Amino acid sequence: MHDDLFRPTIREQPPPGKPPWRPESIVYPAFFGGPLAAATLGLLNGHRLALPAGQLAAIAGAGVAGVAARITVGAFTEGNSPVRLAGTVCGLLVWLVVLSLQRRPFRVATLRGHGPARLIGPGLLAAIVCGLFEALLIVVLVR
Amino acid sequence: MNATLHHAQALLATGRPEQALTELSRLPANEVTGSFAMQLRCAALSRLDRWAEVGDAARAGLAANGPDPGLLLWLGRSEHEAGRDPQAERALLDGLAMAPEDVDLLCAYADLCAAAGQLDKAGKLVDLAAARAPQAPVVYATRIQLAHARGDDREAQRISREFVGAHPENPVAHALLGGTSAARGHVDAAYEGFRQAAAARPTEQLFAESAMELRVARHPLMRPLRPILRFGALKTWLVAVALIIGLRAIGLPVLGGLLGFVWLAYCVYSWVVPPLVRKWVMRSWR
Repeated sequence: MHDDLFRPTIREQPPPGKPPWRPESIVYPAFFGGPLAAATLGLLNGHRLALPAGQLAAIAGAGVAGVAARITVGAFTEGNSPVRLAGTVCGLLVWLVVLSLQRRPFRVATLRGHGPARLIGPGLLAAIVCGLFEALLIVVLVR
Repeated sequence: MNATLHHAQALLATGRPEQALTELSRLPANEVTGSFAMQLRCAALSRLDRWAEVGDAARAGLAANGPDPGLLLWLGRSEHEAGRDPQAERALLDGLAMAPEDVDLLCAYADLCAAAGQLDKAGKLVDLAAARAPQAPVVYATRIQLAHARGDDREAQRISREFVGAHPENPVAHALLGGTSAARGHVDAAYEGFRQAAAARPTEQLFAESAMELRVARHPLMRPLRPILRFGALKTWLVAVALIIGLRAIGLPVLGGLLGFVWLAYCVYSWVVPPLVRKWVMRSWR
């Protein structure tokens, strides 16, 4: 009666590539760097976790939507503070998308013994580079 | 079963695998390769993390005794440990073909499926095992691991509590309750779990290390970080950001800025202090 369960389904695992980052940790670069940083790290990590293409596209889409939302806020408000705030809020929202898609695959990867990689260096880099790029984009496009 | 095997089994049950191996080596030549002796040997070697030898012993046992579910279980586990998942699956399925209701085989296969990302199949397998032996330690442990892999920390902790309730003498139960409590930020419960596990089985390095990690988490300097541990980074961050934005929105930008600055300082504290505390606690232990 358990014929389905006792049919072999395990395929050869691809050799482990780079170890993934802890998806929870991406909150820091997302907070300081904004939606682009969150989406970039989310995509790189999604690649490391071998997510299906649809989910990678969802992360990229969330990132694009986040940047668009921030630019819209920049276009309709005066001063720096709303734009900064929008960056934080959109960054966190994109990170929520990343977290919801990567939490399970990350836990499964740790079951296979692929411990988390350190995010401090790449996280700082992504926050600074993506944050500056976004600021530049807003200045050029809407200010 | 003869007295030597009994003795080896008792040594293993009390967490002394090296002595169990010595005891097994005293067996007469015609009994060394018996199925049960080989299974005990595999169990002892696995406790010592000598998985390559577990595989060798299981193969030798299978060669001497023919197909045997107990030995196929150890072969499957060792292949899984070596990262040869398809071979592990074949061994476990061969075992299940002979003993389709064997709880250990079902749970080992569930572990294998979970590690391959097949969480639904793993869940069905462990459900089968649970229907057969709901209170078996291996069933509890597998259910906890599966809940953890699903990201359901609350469920994992709930099953761990059940496990400790059903087997209060089992060090693994306490260690799992410690681990799942730590995942939810219940630092004191986590420390208590690992402390009891380490007390019951002082030879297990992992329990002692985890207990010490939690000693770090209970250090007075770590007290300000309890909210992050307890509620998780996500909720703490969201509350802080909502407060900062809220203060600005109701026309108190100075207070909002001040809170933002305090929050930044708190974040820096949360990055800098834990490694330092860990270093201090380690030093005082050596």
